[in-house]
Amino acid sequence: MKKQLLYTLLAGSLLTACNKDDLEQIPSNQVEYSVSFDNPVRVLGQVNGLYGTIKNAGLYGGRYQIFNDIRGGDFMNDRTNVVTGFDIWNYTPSNSSANSVQAIWSRAYYAINLANVFLSGMDTKGTEVVGETLANNYKAEARFIRAICYHALLTLYARPYWDGNGSKLGVPLRLTPNTGSGNYDLARSTVAEVYNQILEDLNYAEQNLPASYSSATLNTTRAHKNTAIAFKVRVYLAMQRYQDVITEANKLVPATAPFVAPSGVPHQLQDDVRSIYTTYTTTESILSMPFSDNEAPGTQNQLGYYYGASSMNGGNGEYSLLSTGIVSSPDWPATDDRRSLITTVGTRQYVNKYPKGSPFTDWAPVIRYAEVLLSLAEAITRSTNTVDDRAIALLNAVRQRSDASVTFTAGDFANAAELADAILTERRIEFLAEGLAGFDLTRLGLPLPAKASVSAVQPSQQEYIWPISSTELLLNKLCVDN
Amino acid sequence: MRKLFLLLLGIVMLSGQVLAQSRTVVGKVTDANGIPVANASILVKGSNIGTTSGEDGSFSLNIPEYARVLVISAVGMASQEISIGNRGLFNVSLSADDRDLQEVVVVGYGTAVKRKEYTGNIANVKGDAVSNRPVQSFEHSLGGRAPGVQIVTPTGVLNAPAVFRVRGTNSISLSSQPLIVVDGIPMYSGDASATSIVAANALSSINPNDIESIDIAKDAAASAIYGSRAANGVIFVTTKKGKAGRPKVNYDTWYSWSKAQNLPKLLDAFQYTEFKNQSLKNAGSYNETPGSENYFALTDGPDGQPINTNWYDYVYRTGFSHSSSLSLSGGNESTRYYTSVSYTDQEGIIRRNDFKRLAATMNIEHKINKVLSMGTKIQYANEKNLGAVSTGSLGDAFSTAGLGRVPLVTAPNISPYNNDGSYNYSGALIGVMNNKQGQVGFNNPVIQLDKNRGNVDVSRLLGNAFIQLKPIRQVTFRSQYSIDYLAADNEVYYHPISGEGFADGGNASSAYSQNRRWVWSNTLQFDEQFGENHNLGLLVGTEQQKSNNKSYGINRIGVVDPDFTNIQGGWRTPNVTAMGIGENYILSYFGRFTYNYARKYHLSANIRRDGASHLGKNNRWGTFWGVSAGWDIDKEGFFENAGLSKVFSSMRLRGSYGKVGNIDGLGQYASLSLYGSSLYAGNGTFVFNQAGNDDLGWETSTKTDIGINFGMFNDRLTAEVSYYNNDVNDLILAVPAPPSAGLPSTIPTNIGALYNRGVEIALGGTPIQKKDFSWTANFNVTFNKNEVTSLAPGVDNILAATGGLESPSITVVGESLGMLFVTRTAGVDPATGRRIFINADGRKVYFQHIVPAGSGGARFMYEDGSVAPTVSAADAVVYKNTIPKWYGGFDNTFRFKNFELNTLFTFQGGNYIYWGTYAGLRDQRFWNNSVDVLRAWTKPGDITDMPKSYFGDNVSNGSSFPLDINVFKGDFIKLRTVTLAYNLPSAVLTKVKINNVRFHITANNLWIGTKYPGPDPEVSTNGTGNINQGIDRNSVGNARAISVGLNVGF
Repeated sequence: MKKQLLYTLLAGSLLTACNKDDLEQIPSNQVEYSVSFDNPVRVLGQVNGLYGTIKNAGLYGGRYQIFNDIRGGDFMNDRTNVVTGFDIWNYTPSNSSANSVQAIWSRAYYAINLANVFLSGMDTKGTEVVGETLANNYKAEARFIRAICYHALLTLYARPYWDGNGSKLGVPLRLTPNTGSGNYDLARSTVAEVYNQILEDLNYAEQNLPASYSSATLNTTRAHKNTAIAFKVRVYLAMQRYQDVITEANKLVPATAPFVAPSGVPHQLQDDVRSIYTTYTTTESILSMPFSDNEAPGTQNQLGYYYGASSMNGGNGEYSLLSTGIVSSPDWPATDDRRSLITTVGTRQYVNKYPKGSPFTDWAPVIRYAEVLLSLAEAITRSTNTVDDRAIALLNAVRQRSDASVTFTAGDFANAAELADAILTERRIEFLAEGLAGFDLTRLGLPLPAKASVSAVQPSQQEYIWPISSTELLLNKLCVDN
Repeated sequence: MRKLFLLLLGIVMLSGQVLAQSRTVVGKVTDANGIPVANASILVKGSNIGTTSGEDGSFSLNIPEYARVLVISAVGMASQEISIGNRGLFNVSLSADDRDLQEVVVVGYGTAVKRKEYTGNIANVKGDAVSNRPVQSFEHSLGGRAPGVQIVTPTGVLNAPAVFRVRGTNSISLSSQPLIVVDGIPMYSGDASATSIVAANALSSINPNDIESIDIAKDAAASAIYGSRAANGVIFVTTKKGKAGRPKVNYDTWYSWSKAQNLPKLLDAFQYTEFKNQSLKNAGSYNETPGSENYFALTDGPDGQPINTNWYDYVYRTGFSHSSSLSLSGGNESTRYYTSVSYTDQEGIIRRNDFKRLAATMNIEHKINKVLSMGTKIQYANEKNLGAVSTGSLGDAFSTAGLGRVPLVTAPNISPYNNDGSYNYSGALIGVMNNKQGQVGFNNPVIQLDKNRGNVDVSRLLGNAFIQLKPIRQVTFRSQYSIDYLAADNEVYYHPISGEGFADGGNASSAYSQNRRWVWSNTLQFDEQFGENHNLGLLVGTEQQKSNNKSYGINRIGVVDPDFTNIQGGWRTPNVTAMGIGENYILSYFGRFTYNYARKYHLSANIRRDGASHLGKNNRWGTFWGVSAGWDIDKEGFFENAGLSKVFSSMRLRGSYGKVGNIDGLGQYASLSLYGSSLYAGNGTFVFNQAGNDDLGWETSTKTDIGINFGMFNDRLTAEVSYYNNDVNDLILAVPAPPSAGLPSTIPTNIGALYNRGVEIALGGTPIQKKDFSWTANFNVTFNKNEVTSLAPGVDNILAATGGLESPSITVVGESLGMLFVTRTAGVDPATGRRIFINADGRKVYFQHIVPAGSGGARFMYEDGSVAPTVSAADAVVYKNTIPKWYGGFDNTFRFKNFELNTLFTFQGGNYIYWGTYAGLRDQRFWNNSVDVLRAWTKPGDITDMPKSYFGDNVSNGSSFPLDINVFKGDFIKLRTVTLAYNLPSAVLTKVKINNVRFHITANNLWIGTKYPGPDPEVSTNGTGNINQGIDRNSVGNARAISVGLNVGF
C-alpha cells in the first residue's frame, strides 16, 4: 500500500512539473521594438539603418540609377530579361512588374516609414537619450532620407512638375509612423504637395545637419548640410524653379573658379575623373552608397553586374552602349578621359565605371559635385535665356577636367537653347550610368527616345511615367493608377 | 488539475486492496479446422497479464483471482472473450479474420483501442501499403489509401515533401500539413534543406519498412488529444515492435528503374531555326548585313551534319535505385525487441539527383515486475540528398539554371560541346555558335551537371525512453521522454567556368542547421469496468515540448584555384550565410474520458490546454476539446426484430464535435516587433524589420463529424459514410498593408475564416473469397468544398507568387483558396493574327508586339482601331479553382493460389491547373518552343490559337503576365501502383526452414488518364503552399518507375 502511494505521488509530481517561464521567449539576435531607443548605440544604429535601407535591395544602391539610365537612349538591352529591366528599357513596365515598379515603390516607402518611425521615436525617447544637439542632427538625416525617397518616387511614378505646374497626381504623402495594423487607405497628393514636403524636409535638414563629419567616408555616406543643399538643387531643377536652383547652388559654388564649396565639406571636382570610381570618398562625391565584401549589393542589384561584360569584371553585360547613343556623339572627342571609362568587347561597348568583380562592391554614386555645377549652369542659362559666361565657365569646368583640348566659348552657341543643349549633352557624358538620364528627359518634357526596335514615347503618352504598383492599387482603395 | 488528481488518488486507494492470490489456467488455441495457432495472445481482460501460445497452440497462464474474462486473439483471427468462472482448461477455436473486430487504432499517448470501441474518425493504413515502394518517404504512398487523405507528390525531384492534406486545406499562412507523431514524438516535418537544389523531406528519416501502421485522426474527437496542433489532422505512425515468440528475421530488397514521362514535344534544330527567323522577319528585325547581323543559323557538328540537340537527353536519365532492409524481432513474456538496418540508394530522373539513406532502429521493452515496465527506442538515419544545380522545382521556378526549364528553353541548334570537344559557353551563358544572337539559352546544363554540386546531408536521431507503472490493475502511469535531433549540412558549389558560378568567379557555401526538440509527457490512465456494462477510461497528462534551432554558414566567392571545390579552399570572400537561432516552448495539460455502456453506447471526451511561446503575450493559452458519441444499433434488440440484421451485419451511428488549433509553421517570434542589425559603411545598423502583434493567438478549427458505418453480407461489404465540417476561424493572416504604408513586414493577425466541408465514402468488400482465389476491393472518395469566408477588413484578396516572378494565384472571400488569377483572352484575330485580350472593362484589346513603322497603330488597340491602355496583370480576373472538388482511390487485391495482384488507382478532379510552363513554351524570345507554335497565324483567314509570331513577344503567350490560355482542367485518374507478387509455397519453404519468400514486381505511375496537356497533373511547383497550389511552372514532372523486389522471412 505504501508503495502504491509512493508511486502515485511520484506520478502526480511528474504530472505537474513544468516551467511556465519558458513561455516568454525573445530572440537573442534581434532587439525588441520597445527598447529600440534605449541607448545611444541603438539610436545611431537606426540612423545608419535608414541609409542602409535606401542602399539595399535596389533603391539608391543601384537599381534606381539603372532604371533612370535605361529610360534614356544610350543603352542597349542585351538580355531581354524583365528581372534586369527589359520592360523598363523598352518602356513597357506593367503595374505588376515585380523587380521595378513594385520593388522601388515598396522600398522607398519602407525607408520613408522608417524615417517616420524614427522621428516619432526621437520625440518620445531618443532625444533624451542622445541629447538635443545630436537628436537634431539625426532627425535632419531622417528627414533628408524621407525627402530623397519621395523625390525618387516622383521622378518615376508621377507626371513631371511642368505638366500642370505640379497639379497632377503625385504619390501618397505619408508623414506619420506606421507600426501596426490599421487602415492605410490614402489618396495620392499632388506633385506640388509632395515637392513642398520634400523642400520642407530638405530645408530642415540643411538647418540641422552638421557641416561635416570626422572622416571622408562619413562625409560621403551620411548627409551633411551640403548634401541637403545639393539635393535641393536637383529638386528645384525638377520643378524648373531655376532661380531657386541658382540660389541653392550658389551656396556650394563660388561665383568664379576655382569651384570649391565655400563652407562645410569642401566639395570640388577631382583632377582626374577616373579617380572617383576607384577612390569613393573624394570631395567630389557628395553622397554615395558604400559597398564592401561585407556589405555586398545583392543579386541583380549591382551596377557592375549590369554594365560590365563578362570579360571585364565577370558582369552579365545586361546593358551595352547603343551605337545610336551618346557614345557616338561627335561632341565627345576621343581625347576625353571619360572615353577611357568605356571598354570595347567584341562589337559592343560597355561602361567601365564599376570595374570590381563579384560581389560588385563599387560604390553607387547618388549625387556628385559635377551635377551641382552643371545644374547651376543650366539654371542660369534657362532662367536668363542668355549665353551666360558663368554658365560657360561651369560647363568648361566639367569638360576641361576630362578634356583640356576643348574650351567652350560664348561664340560656340548661337543662343541660350544651344548652350542648354550643350549642358545636357555634357550631363549625358558625365553621368552616363549614374542614373540621371531618365530624370533629365522627363523634367524637361523631352520624349523618351526611340532605340533599337523600341519606338519613342512622347511626353503625352501613358508610358512616359511608370504605372503605380498593382499591390498598392489592390490594397489602397484611394490610390489610382497613372 | 489538483481536484482531478485527488479524485484519482482516492480511486487508487479504494482499489488498492484488490490484489490477492492467483492461480494457473492452461489451454490450447486452434483455428476452425483444428490446426494449432501459434503466437496467439491470451490476456486477462482489463490487465496487462497475458501470454502467447506456443508452436502447438498451447498456453499456460497465471491469473489473479479478480480475473473474469480471458481475451484470446491472433493475427488474422477474430478475437474471443471467454468467461473464466472456475474453469482451468480452455480449448479455444478461433474463427478466421473478422477485420472489423480485429482492427486496432492508435489514439495518442500510448493508447491503442479497438476500432469497434472507438467513436472518433480515424483512418488506418497498414504498414504494408507503404513498404517496399520506390519512394523516399512513407507519406508518398498514402495517396488514395484512406478517405479524406489527399497526397500530391509535387515533383520528380527526389525527397520533396508531399502535399499532405487531411480533409482539405485548413490554413492560409500557416502549415496545412498534418502533425506527424511517431511513437509519441511530434516530429519535425517539412523540408530540412536550405538549398533549392535538392529537397530533404524530414519524414524520410523513417524507413517505410519499419512502419507497423499509420493512423490518421481526422475529426476533433480523434485529434483533440493533440488539440493545439490538430487542425490539420494528426498522423500517428507506429513503428514495428517485437512480438513474443521465436525471433524473426526479415529481409527486404528491391531494385527500380524510373523515367520521365510526357515531356513536351519541342522544335528540333531545323524547325527552330526556320521559325525564329520567320519571327525576326515578322518583327522587321531580321538582318544579314555584316556588322548588324540578326538571325538564327544552324551549325555543323563534328560529324559534318547540322547540330540537332535534344536537351532532354542531357538532363534526364533512367534512374536506377535499390533498397535493402534487414530486421530482427522477437521476445518473450517480459521482453520484446525490434531492430532493423536499412540502406537505400536512389537515383532521380534528373542527372546527379540522388538520395541515399542509411537507417537503423532499435526498440526494446521490458516488464521488470508486475508494476514496473520500461522501454527505449532509438532510431538513427543519415540521408544524403544530392544534386548538381537547381531544377526549378522547389520554389524557384524561374531559376535560369533550372534543369526542368533549361531543356525547354535552350536552342536545339547548338550543342553543349564545341566541335573540338570543349564546353560550349560564353561567359555565364551557353555559347550561340552560328546564331547571330546575343543569347540562345541560359546556362549550359552539361557544365552545370559536370561541375556543380548541391548536397544536403541530414543526420537524424529520434529516441525515447519510457517508464510505466501499474500499481494497481486499473491505473497506468507512464512517463516518456523523447528527443528529435535533426542536423542538416547544406553544401553548394558552383564552378567558376560558366553558369551559376561565373559572375562570382566560383561560389561555394556551406550551412549547418540544427534542430533539437525534447518532449516529456506524463500520463495517468485509469480503466475500469463497473458492473457488467459500464466501461470507463480516464486519462490525464501533461506534456512539455521545447525546440531549439540554430544555423550558421559561410559563403565564399572568387576561388583562388579552380580545383578548390569547397569552402575550406582558398577564396576571396568570407561572408556569412544562413544565420539563425531560436527557441520555442509548448506546455500542455490534457485529459481524456471514455465511457461505454455494454459496448453499445459510446461516449468520449478530450480536453487539452496549451500555452505556446510563439504567440502574443495576451493570447498565449488556448483550450481545445472534442466530444464524440457512438451507437451500435446492431446490438439493439429491435435491430434484429425489425429484420434489419438480415440485411446489415453491423451498423453504427457516430458523431463528434470539438475545437482544435494550429500554430504549425508560425515563426517562433512572430508576435514580436523587432529591430534587426546589419552594417552600413562598416557601422552597425538597427532597422525595424518586423511588425508584431501582442494579441496573436491560435488558429482554431471547429470540427463536426457525423457518420454511419455498416456491414452487409456478414461484413463482406463494409461501408463508412461521413459528413464533416471544419470551420476554421482566427486564421492568422499576414495582413498585407498597402506598400506605401511602409510596414517592414505584414502583421500576423487572427482574422480570417474558411471552411472545408464534405462527404467521405469508403466501401470495402471481398466480392470473391474462394480457396484459391480471392478478390478484395476498397474504394474511397471524398467530396470536399473549400471556401474562404472572411479575410481581413480592407483586404479583398491575397495574391500569391510563383517563383517570385508572377502571381497567378489569388485568395478571395467566397471562393476556395488559391484561385487562379489570370488575364482573359479571346483567341487570335483571324484577320491580323493578333492576340486578343479582354481587359478589366471587358473590352477586347488587340495586341501586336511590334507596331509596323508608319502604320499609325499602337501595341494595344481596341477593335475599332483606337489606342487602348496597356493590358497587364492589372486586368486579371479571379478565374478557376485549384483545389480539387473530389479525390480518392480504388484499391484491388486479387489472390490466386500463391500469386497476388494489387492495383491502386488514385483520382482527383474538379480543379484547374495553371501550366505556366506552356507560357514559356510559346515565348517568342530566343526560347525554344513547343511544336504547337508551328500552328501560328501566317495569313489572313487563318483560324488558330497561336498568334502571329513576333520575335521578342513575351506578352501574347503569358510570359509577361499570366493568361487564361495556360489554364487547363486537372482531372485525372492514375494507376498509381500495380504490384504482382508471388509467394513461394509453404511446402517448399518448410523444407529449407524459411517462413516466407515473396517476389514482387511493381509499377508506379504506369498510366495517367487525363486531358491535362502538361507532363503530370499531379504537380505543385510551390510545394506544400496553401494559396499557390495548382501551379505547374517549369517543374520536373513525376517519374514512372518499375521495380522488382524480394522479401524473405526466417
